Amino acid sequence: MTSDERVCAAIRLENPDRVPVVPTLLPEPAARLAGLSQAQVAANSQLAVDAIFKVFDEYGGWDNPYLGAYAPIQLQAVRHYPMKMLIPGKDLADDRTFQLDEQEILKPEDYDTIAEIGIDKFYYEDYLWRITDLRRDELPGTFERVVEAVMSFANQCALRGTRMFFGADSLHPFFALSLMRSMVPFTQDLYYNPAPVERALKRMTADLITSQIRTVKQTGVRRLLLVEERASGFFYPPAVFERFWLPYTRQIVEALWSEGIVTIFHLDQCWDKNIPYFRQLPRGSAVVELDSTTNIFAAKDTLRGHLCLHGDVPAALLSIGTPEDVASYCKRLIDKIGSDGGFILGSGCSVPADVKRENFRSMIETGKGYELSRK
Amino acid sequence: MSEDLSSALVALKRAEVVELVKLRAGRGEDPFAILEECRHGMGVVGERFQSGDYFLAELLLSAEIFKAAAAILDPYLAKAGSREPLGTVVLATMQGDIHDLGKNIVATLLRANGFEVHDLGVDVPPSLLVEKVKQIRPDFVGISTLLTTTFGGMKEAVQLLVQAGIRNELTLLIGGGVTTPAVKEYVGADFQTTDATEGVTYCVRTAKDKRARKANL
Repeated sequence: MTSDERVCAAIRLENPDRVPVVPTLLPEPAARLAGLSQAQVAANSQLAVDAIFKVFDEYGGWDNPYLGAYAPIQLQAVRHYPMKMLIPGKDLADDRTFQLDEQEILKPEDYDTIAEIGIDKFYYEDYLWRITDLRRDELPGTFERVVEAVMSFANQCALRGTRMFFGADSLHPFFALSLMRSMVPFTQDLYYNPAPVERALKRMTADLITSQIRTVKQTGVRRLLLVEERASGFFYPPAVFERFWLPYTRQIVEALWSEGIVTIFHLDQCWDKNIPYFRQLPRGSAVVELDSTTNIFAAKDTLRGHLCLHGDVPAALLSIGTPEDVASYCKRLIDKIGSDGGFILGSGCSVPADVKRENFRSMIETGKGYELSRK
Repeated sequence: MSEDLSSALVALKRAEVVELVKLRAGRGEDPFAILEECRHGMGVVGERFQSGDYFLAELLLSAEIFKAAAAILDPYLAKAGSREPLGTVVLATMQGDIHDLGKNIVATLLRANGFEVHDLGVDVPPSLLVEKVKQIRPDFVGISTLLTTTFGGMKEAVQLLVQAGIRNELTLLIGGGVTTPAVKEYVGADFQTTDATEGVTYCVRTAKDKRARKANL
């Protein structure tokens, strides 16, 4: 099996020749492992791409590289992080990772503007200029550099006989609004004035479906990463989840699936109480990526034969554990979750920026070499 | 004790709580008694959170309501004189991290439980944290983080507390999404949690035990 066939088989809930390995290696941990500063990769998306593939080669490679072709300011420009940022080499020391500065930027009256004119128009005509240090005349060039970096990333994958794990990525509309409005005011809106939030969610969902189907098709990798870190039962009761998240999510997944596109959910925080809802999605239409705060073993019991899981070597383990601890955890994942297919081994959320080299190597080598599940 | 105020807080009726607190404080009722009713409501919210009936969202909303009520009562409380806090806490998000949501919830819940809280904010260097601890001499120090890159700073802060000879005078808590029992051992903390109410319950229990031991001396 090729690397990409292995990943596709797992997503189709088949049992590949071994458990595929896809660590969430973004530019921040790649910088550390490649011997670069955070300021260097934050200033140059091509350098960020180069760092990821330098690590890929030095550590023997893995199945699909996780798309991380960005400099932080570009994430603001493409609406991935609709927040103020502190950037190494500019706002922070060279060795610090970039930081998201959550503030109440979106105002209550903005919900209806989004509902009326759509999120793209609102973002680029108004909102972006409330959060960014970019000048308006820098935006076209910034987009060009994003496209160049993504194309370079795709080419680097092709040179190594594989493909990107996903073709495009987007924040879930619920998560995007929570970041733009900030957590406490957004929660107050949900409880005390929900109608405008719902109008905005409805429009953003429609906008996301249209734009992301187009983008994913252009990349040729029919998988979309959908990021959601705040809708789970860790934060909200089922009534909120069922009203403000689930219907929009089903709409997105079903629209993408009808075009042959798989949704990869990046789900941070504890989703234990929400995992059963994912059985409502079409079989094989999504991958559920967990960060180690959700009980992945229980999630497997609930989603076995229905959706593929991806995860979840804990960040703290990669940061302060030993290679033996990491190997032991990976073996447990492979034995308990991977032995019957439908599983991709990866890090819980991102590989941390202070990952130990020996721990990263242990995760990759154990993932690729441990064969107990085949016996 | 009036059930209205604490019940309104438990039901997350923000406007009603604010109106009741203003009304009762304005007509000269004991501000400490009013505050106690709000604390009672927060206690019920905490119990519901622990039992799984309430979620973090309700904890957040109740904390915001409590803050609004406490802000109204502050001038009345200042006039009425001070009462001894259950304990003193220094809180900080470690250097290298500017997340403050979890820390802010803990700060409000601690205040609602009668603690005096010194919140040093975010991105706090270990040396500054230790300097503040030397000045304030708190019963508890709570360090919050969402990034593994701060673990080294946490460990350094503990080592500085040891060097200053004050580590054993206080209880050290760490919390945040990336912390684990192994991180607690690595850092040298006394308690670790990813649940704000669990941390606050630990502080309340520890402070009450300490007070009881003092009373028995």
